[in-house]
Amino acid sequence: MTNTLVLPPKPRTWPRNVGVVLALAAMTLLTTLPRLGGVEIDLGSIARNWSNAAERIGMLLQPDLSILPRTIEPMFQTLSMAIVGTVLAAALAIPLSLWAARPTNPNGLTRRAVRFVLNVVRAVPDLVYATILVAMVGVGTLPGVITLILFDVGIVVKLVSESIDSADSAYMEGGRAAGGTQTQINKVTALPQSWPVIASQVLYSLELNVRISAILGIVGAGGIGRLIDEVRGFYRYDALSTIIIEILVVVLIIEVVSNYLRKRLR
Amino acid sequence: MRVPTKPRRLMVRLVWLVVGLLFVGSFWGLDLEWAKIGELPSDVVHYFGLMFSDPDWSKLPEALFQTWRSVSMAWVGALLGVALSTLLGIPAAEGVGPIWIRLPLRWLFAVIRAVPEVIIAIILLTVTGLTPFTGALALAIGGIGTHAKWTYETIEATPTGAGEAVKAAGGNLLQMVRWGLWPSASPELMSLGLYRFEINVRTSAVLGLIGVGGIGDMLTGYVQFRDWSVVGMLIIVVIVVTMTIDAVSGRIRRRIMEGAKSIELDRIV
Repeated sequence: MTNTLVLPPKPRTWPRNVGVVLALAAMTLLTTLPRLGGVEIDLGSIARNWSNAAERIGMLLQPDLSILPRTIEPMFQTLSMAIVGTVLAAALAIPLSLWAARPTNPNGLTRRAVRFVLNVVRAVPDLVYATILVAMVGVGTLPGVITLILFDVGIVVKLVSESIDSADSAYMEGGRAAGGTQTQINKVTALPQSWPVIASQVLYSLELNVRISAILGIVGAGGIGRLIDEVRGFYRYDALSTIIIEILVVVLIIEVVSNYLRKRLR
Repeated sequence: MRVPTKPRRLMVRLVWLVVGLLFVGSFWGLDLEWAKIGELPSDVVHYFGLMFSDPDWSKLPEALFQTWRSVSMAWVGALLGVALSTLLGIPAAEGVGPIWIRLPLRWLFAVIRAVPEVIIAIILLTVTGLTPFTGALALAIGGIGTHAKWTYETIEATPTGAGEAVKAAGGNLLQMVRWGLWPSASPELMSLGLYRFEINVRTSAVLGLIGVGGIGDMLTGYVQFRDWSVVGMLIIVVIVVTMTIDAVSGRIRRRIMEGAKSIELDRIV
């Protein structure tokens, strides 16, 4: 008796694949037509500007360390802005997260309202806030700190409220069974339960803040970005490269410390 | 009934103390003008009135044109970025590339992650000028930092069985990647690629502020003219477009991930 091996038919996936490829190709075509506002992919410009660019890249590769003393004060300003922004945002974000999560706020109307407002807040990019606030309240660190607070509240509330939503709510049920009001339940069960998540997300927002506050100065909102804009204006690419390296080092240090602390939290 | 004594939480108190000191020190270092902080609420109400009481819709066509330019930068940047990240991310995954390739690549990603896209754009514009192409390239290169990391993390999280089977059947590295890794990792990777596009939509507006074009460019112009009714309209356009793209892209991502287990996707960067 012979057993013939019959291969199962291949699933027909090609119509779907063709559809996906066509959709991607159409979107790519639409976004690369300059007449529609798309990006003109101009590889020729690289060749044309090469001599000019080579000189500047040469300058970037030879960092001018003499600017270093001038960077210290703005760098501290950048770090101060990041810390103040993070702490104030965390203070705002904790009550708002409880408000935006289902187990801690059973009232659908206020919960959706808070979520909607925060979705709108998150839809505006960070430097756009900074540009507008600088025009409103003037150049300085104040618009920078407000920008960071708006940015942080948006992401911390989203991430923390989602984690409260998906967390086990057994303790909260216990609180309810014991006759606690929603506020008491939130304070005694939900909040202690979510501390590690809150702390971890706040540290994450501090990391992002250092990166953002380094460039806020470009639009006039304080910190080392102001210096970036200045040296860029004078085509001092050798000084620019020193500043970039400094930002790089600071961001990496903050990231390493924050990663260590976040691992400890788990 | 004896109530147990409260645990002494020295560490927690220490942490609070350090946070408090850092905060006070930083706040003091900022030199904020208290008068300005006092005026802030009335300022905000005043400018909100100027911006949103009567937005100037006559500039809407130009705003939509510029928005499409920003979205284009985001899309082209995402496409190039995902392509580069996939090429660099796969060899950086454990079990695919040898350690002397893995470590330098991971360092490269960490370094790129630390540099803001705006700075990458400032460097690039020496080569390509103040054009949307510069914006797209900056998004592509800046995207490698996070996206390549997600790529190798995704690949490391995929089950290794299929890949081992290909190896056992005599497949080489390329064949292992194509038939062992790709089928199980691709939904996740495509979903992450779309997410990269969502992030880029936000960042492309920011890049406009340094002059590479798009909605950010238009916005800076009108903020400098202090033409607040147009600024109000532009902000409404940015919010509506961003939220719409997030909603559509989020729905597609859920469709892609249906059936596949989803790891924590919504890390906003």
